[in-house]
Amino acid sequence: MLRIVLTGDTLSLAGVLSREEAGRALTDIRGRLAASAPGRMHLDLSGLERIDSAGVAMIDQLRQELQARGLEAELTRVPAQVSEALKLFSAPAAPAPTPQVRESLFYRVGDAAVKAAHTAWIMLYLIADTLYFAVVGLFNRRGIRKGEFINQSILIGVNALPIVALISFLIGFILALQSAAQLRQFGAAIYVADLIAIAMTREMGPLITAILFAGRSGSAIAAELATMGVTEETDALRSMGLNPTRYVLVPKFYAITLTMPLLTVLSIIIGIGGAMVIGYSYLGIGPKPFYQEVMTVLFFRDILTGLIKSVVFAWIIALVGAYYGFSARGGSEDVGRVTTAAVVASIFWVILADSLLGLVFYFGQGLEY
Amino acid sequence: MEREREMREIVRVRGLHAGYDEEEILHDISLTALAGDVTVILGASGCGKTTLLKHLIRLYVPSRGSIELFGREITTMDEPEFDELLQQVGVLFQNGALLNSISVAENVAIPLEQHTTLPPELIARLVHTKLRLVEMDQALDKRPAELSGGMRKRAALARAIILDPPLLFCDEPSAGLDPTTSAGLDYLLLKLRDELGMSMVIVTHVVASIKRIADRCIFMDQGEVLFSGTLKEAESSGLEKIERFFREG
Ligand SMILES: Nc1ncnc2c1ncn2[C@@H]1O[C@H](COP(=O)(O)OP(=O)(O)OP(=O)(O)O)[C@@H](O)[C@H]1O
Ligand SMILES: [Mg+2]
Repeated sequence: MLRIVLTGDTLSLAGVLSREEAGRALTDIRGRLAASAPGRMHLDLSGLERIDSAGVAMIDQLRQELQARGLEAELTRVPAQVSEALKLFSAPAAPAPTPQVRESLFYRVGDAAVKAAHTAWIMLYLIADTLYFAVVGLFNRRGIRKGEFINQSILIGVNALPIVALISFLIGFILALQSAAQLRQFGAAIYVADLIAIAMTREMGPLITAILFAGRSGSAIAAELATMGVTEETDALRSMGLNPTRYVLVPKFYAITLTMPLLTVLSIIIGIGGAMVIGYSYLGIGPKPFYQEVMTVLFFRDILTGLIKSVVFAWIIALVGAYYGFSARGGSEDVGRVTTAAVVASIFWVILADSLLGLVFYFGQGLEY
Repeated sequence: MEREREMREIVRVRGLHAGYDEEEILHDISLTALAGDVTVILGASGCGKTTLLKHLIRLYVPSRGSIELFGREITTMDEPEFDELLQQVGVLFQNGALLNSISVAENVAIPLEQHTTLPPELIARLVHTKLRLVEMDQALDKRPAELSGGMRKRAALARAIILDPPLLFCDEPSAGLDPTTSAGLDYLLLKLRDELGMSMVIVTHVVASIKRIADRCIFMDQGEVLFSGTLKEAESSGLEKIERFFREG
């Protein structure tokens, strides 16, 4: 308990001045001294039994506030034990926080442009490095961990199989259901097969797989590389003469390049399967005529379109994930930030690339495509 | 005499068996640390010092044995009571364990903001004071990731002593520090002991530091206590391992 007594120009504190009391005491004393005129006064500490660092901070704060009003407060009759604590914990005023400077608009625009150029430059480096080591790695296995390719193929590809299959089935199913309702009105129900076959092969198959991969593997790549950077593992690899891109990223790059097209094919087949279920149960089209219809409309180049897209998407996901992973700076909280950024950015770039490739294939094939 | 000693036992461990999952790391540890003393725990790397410290603050539950802090059994204590008790204990982890997402000053302020009702201006002042004690007041606004290893250690020490805890656990406070800074830190610890009566249990390998600060030392070897007593007794214990430690350290 702290007792505060004000008599004349002497303020006496007695009892225990600890962190439980300090806040309340400060407000209390401020109130009592609010009307005091400038001059000198005494802080009598003779009755203090104990003081802790919060108590010392309180006395410092009080004296500083009083001094600002021209009131000089002198400590008197300080007990030995209290004086030790005062010596140890007494500090000059805490520095005022440095104010944030707001940059001008021109500065910020320029800064953003420089940063964007820098990002593009680093990305180019990363792409060049990765492709170079990926090609070199085909002939020379040095600098890549043994068994890592198989390991990563399982992690990235095989483990994604159930979720890709499930989502593809549902998308095929829903697309068929929605279009069937429309086409049936024109007696064109069988064209559901054409529609789904084309849509799944050219667009939906690659896109569904890519989006799932971005969420599963893009994020994992970014998080792993970011963690390695934060915990100095990448530095350690470099110090052992290993290139982190080659050692960590290239096996993942192989794995995603191999497994994503395979899963895309699976996605297409299962999506069409989902549509078949609607054809059979809702439109009365048996599996056989449905299959025949699909086969008349699908050409090899459709499949090729889908596969090319899926490889491009795979590379985007791996490289964007790696870019963000390597860009992590600072501590563990940055890992979360770059992981999120990697997923959002790779989905964006996948969809942008999808649009561009769509245009290329469309005009590249002539209008009948 | 016996009673008086019991009163002074601030940490008391009896028959402690503990480890991680299946693996037992600590075999039948018994030790005491007295109030107002600096008790140093030493021993080879991997012998279980950090593990012991983590059990003392109940981050892990031992499989057998008793642990008393301030004369109260903590292994069976309920959560709220133990949280209350933890406010009397400061802990410095081996790697500092500062939160990376906030500045040094914010890290040090955490216990004050959580456990006291102090107004912001006093909190700022206290944070500054404690960081000045460890000579880190220049780095108030830096993020932990922007500090060197030794600076992180010192900032973490400031956080550990922010509530003036009567009992302080430190895991290798001077690891990664240069001899001068390390000595400065030792003198700070001694000041805290002498002027606040803070009791400390400190894990360290640095012989120079042990000689400066240790009132008593506990020598661990492969999960067991090999020796405990004063520094003088340790040096003349006649135990080969301990003598080698002091000779070569
Ligand atoms: N989280 C953990 N899970 C499983 N085993 C662990 C864990 N942490 C430590 N160990 C094991 O416990 C043993 C003791 O480790 P501890 O960290 O306590 O050693 P130490 O004495 O502090 O060593 P150092 O001086 O190197 O810090 C070691 O064999 C270690 O492998
Ligand atoms: Mg340790």
